[in-house]
Amino acid sequence: MDINVKQVRKNAFRVTKTRGITASRIRIPGGHLDADLLPVIQRIAQEYGDGSIHLTVRQGVEIPGIRYEDMPQVNQLLQPLIDRMGINQEEPGTGYSSAGTRNISACIGNRVCPYGCYDTTAFAQRIEKAIFPHDLHFKIALTGCPNDCAKVRLHDFGIIGMTLPQYEKDRCVDCRACVKACAKKSVDALRTVNYKVERNHEKCIGCGECVINCPTRAWTRSQEQYYRLVLFGRTGKRNPRLAVDFIKWVDEESILKIIKNTYAYVQAHIDPNAPGGKEHIGYIVDRTGVQEYLKWALQDVNLPDCAEVSSPLYWSGLHY
Amino acid sequence: MGYRLSTDAMNQVLAELGKQYAIYAPKCYPGGNTFSEVDCIRYGEVHTVEEIETERKSDYSFKELLLPFSETLFFFTENTIQEASVIEKDMVIFLRSCDLHAVRRLDEIYLRNGLPDFYYQRLREKVQFVLIGCPAAFDSCFCVDMGTNRSDNYDAAFELRGGQVYMAARHPQWEALLRQYGEPVEGFAPSYVTETPTRVSIPADLSPAVAKSTVWDEYDKRCIGCGRCNYACPTCTCFTMQDIYYTDNAKAGERRRVAASCMVDGFTDVAGGGSYRKKHGERMRFKVLHKVYDFKQRNGYQMCVGCGRCDDVCPEYISFSAILNKLEEAMQEVRGDGQQ
Amino acid sequence: MTVSNEYLSHWAEIREVIPHTAIEYTFRMAYQGAVQPGQFFQVSIPKYGEAPISVSGIGEGTIDLTIRRVGRVTNEVFERYAGERLFLRGPYGIGFDVELYRGREVVIVAGGTGVSPVRPVIEHFYWHPELGRKVSLIAGFKSREDILFAEDFTRWQEQMDVILTVDNNNGDPDLRQGLVTEYIPALAIADPARAAAIVVGPPAMMRFSIQALLRRGIAEENIWVSYERKMCCGIGKCGHCKIDDVYVCLDGPVFNYTRAKDLAD
Ligand code: SF4
Ligand code: SF4
Ligand code: FES
Repeated sequence: MDINVKQVRKNAFRVTKTRGITASRIRIPGGHLDADLLPVIQRIAQEYGDGSIHLTVRQGVEIPGIRYEDMPQVNQLLQPLIDRMGINQEEPGTGYSSAGTRNISACIGNRVCPYGCYDTTAFAQRIEKAIFPHDLHFKIALTGCPNDCAKVRLHDFGIIGMTLPQYEKDRCVDCRACVKACAKKSVDALRTVNYKVERNHEKCIGCGECVINCPTRAWTRSQEQYYRLVLFGRTGKRNPRLAVDFIKWVDEESILKIIKNTYAYVQAHIDPNAPGGKEHIGYIVDRTGVQEYLKWALQDVNLPDCAEVSSPLYWSGLHY
Repeated sequence: MGYRLSTDAMNQVLAELGKQYAIYAPKCYPGGNTFSEVDCIRYGEVHTVEEIETERKSDYSFKELLLPFSETLFFFTENTIQEASVIEKDMVIFLRSCDLHAVRRLDEIYLRNGLPDFYYQRLREKVQFVLIGCPAAFDSCFCVDMGTNRSDNYDAAFELRGGQVYMAARHPQWEALLRQYGEPVEGFAPSYVTETPTRVSIPADLSPAVAKSTVWDEYDKRCIGCGRCNYACPTCTCFTMQDIYYTDNAKAGERRRVAASCMVDGFTDVAGGGSYRKKHGERMRFKVLHKVYDFKQRNGYQMCVGCGRCDDVCPEYISFSAILNKLEEAMQEVRGDGQQ
Repeated sequence: MTVSNEYLSHWAEIREVIPHTAIEYTFRMAYQGAVQPGQFFQVSIPKYGEAPISVSGIGEGTIDLTIRRVGRVTNEVFERYAGERLFLRGPYGIGFDVELYRGREVVIVAGGTGVSPVRPVIEHFYWHPELGRKVSLIAGFKSREDILFAEDFTRWQEQMDVILTVDNNNGDPDLRQGLVTEYIPALAIADPARAAAIVVGPPAMMRFSIQALLRRGIAEENIWVSYERKMCCGIGKCGHCKIDDVYVCLDGPVFNYTRAKDLAD
């Protein structure tokens, strides 16, 4: 059996522990898919795989038990999934054009969750459109609110939804539901002064508890959706760590631009001898220094006026 | 006489009216509700017919125009008191039949129960009401059972039918405007619903004895005492006074009143530290009996107008209409004929 | 039609300040106009806001308002003295109609600050003994330090049967010990069927006192109570004082027991 495993991997198939057998890795940006696509997955699993599927930790689907020689037929069958999820592709019928940049995962977001501050799936799909296909090993995750159910702080780019609470004091009846909710469930950023509420903007994390708990619509959400962008968290062997705050109250445009800029930065600085062409961005930043990274990342980015950029950036975590 | 107008023509009528009146109607506030990207329908000033929300029920009622959530009554210094000023323009309020019935309840309390209320009265005198025809009930409405589905005491009536505006006015100046911009139509009368998906029946012998029933107990736990049901209700009108001392001049300040809720902690607190109706079930009983029993004892007609907003707004899915339908069983329980 | 603005208060001069306890003072205010015992005023207390205060005394051109210091914020008013002023509006509500008690035995049971609203009734009979038959007063406080109108009690004792009790008298011979209800059974009432009773105080105290009075043969329709509620407007608007279909500010605060007994909070 003569197989170019580099091409296999790039095509989003896995080299498995069983000789002759591969697995197909299906991208589902934002983890949301139309139910009528399930039969496509089912058919691949039953006709070419071992009849089972695995739900991956990144919200993709992996179909195990496929013979390497069946990859072309499987790629043909994958086409409706690729089309319907709007995955960029070099040539139709050839499956995924790369696998380095991992599936973009997201919590269920505001399509369903009352706490969600934005449509996580839709934003995930827009990021996917902007960056895929790409061979660089980037992990991106989105979460609807500061609860961070999607655990985005374990990713290179973690996007946390925020709303900038708007207060109409003439609708406030001093029931203090917001003050209590913020103190008990969030960061205690609200105070009552003269029977009206004052929000400590520095403390506020934009979770929207005040809006959710307000019975009169004195608190509402900002028309603009904002995010907290956190950087370079990772799991793994040498130095697992949580992502750190980069920009609070950042907008979607800026996030897209920063991610794209980071691709350019990594391409310029990655260790050419990195095993498998994989070097975690964080280690590259450790090498070049944060300043060099920021120079690249913020190039041509027009942050909203309210954006707050953290400085200095400092990661800790475990060192083995 | 009714008139048919294109929406453009109606907008001209509104522009003409706008010279004298501030025009308020249910309006969509995009993304303005509790949860992200959910619209809120509530009252706001409108200038065009397109801004008037006729498809969806308003989450909050018109009452905030007459009884603002927060209203300054007067300003004071150590020696003087100065009444807060009132908006200069007259007001036009577009509302549905249930809400027009609610106006009568507000008047009952604010003009007749005890001395009349100066602040309410001075706004009330400025208002003309335009009835929005109601061709179909929403899921939670029960106006027919409360007898509020029809109204005749409007100043004008308004309805959108097939993209055209139908209006009728009692006010001679408005009538002239409609004649100028629209064409007469015979027999226009605003639609009203005759059936609602939600039905309620209130026992004829309902009495305060129902307080002893166990129906209230489940609300001790289910209700979180947030007050949304009261703030959304077009007939809830309680308030609390607040004295504010300016931070830059502690000798001067203002007295305000803000909407209050009998479901929220603190409503019954007395000076010595005591309070009444500590349990949420007791508060529920107090609210329910006020809406469908004791207001009627005092004034001869039910307070609740069956708009169903309290059902729609409750985060705990407590249905007011469902409670009304439990009252018969509750009365059986306290009458003791449940066991027979 | 413009209606008058009932929410605007009027300045009233403080004529005298009479301290009772560390936190309760009586303010004797200049006031012209008819006031009934048991009625209340809405009093603006600087830094605190408006509070319903029942009239604790009615004099020639004056009324007494007994005010409890509420937290630190009201210190200011307690530091005001003669010549200073307070904003008032009122009087509101239906009080005690002393005519109803003319020529009858009257039993008054009061707990704590409940003494304030009945004080004008007691004073009425103190100054006009010919109008009453006999007044018996049972008043209870937590401790000696909490007693309001201490000097008045001494004075009243000259003419009335006065029982002044505290939770624990620590051997003080001037004071009785225990709850007011304990003294009702032994009270000398010559003609219970015609006697009138007034009960004012905390809810539990009122409930038990009324039961004890009924057991003594006093008729329900001869018992009056006064309710303390968080009156905010005083004019039937704000809803804070409502119990069932009754507005305490309009229909009370004084109620005949036949009406009060069915009210459920
Ligand atoms: S019934 Fe619902 S809306 Fe009303 S106070 Fe209770 S939880 Fe809030
Ligand atoms: S009680 Fe509920 S249904 Fe009745 S008027 Fe109020 S909000 Fe509408
Ligand atoms: S005190 Fe406001 S209604 Fe009675």
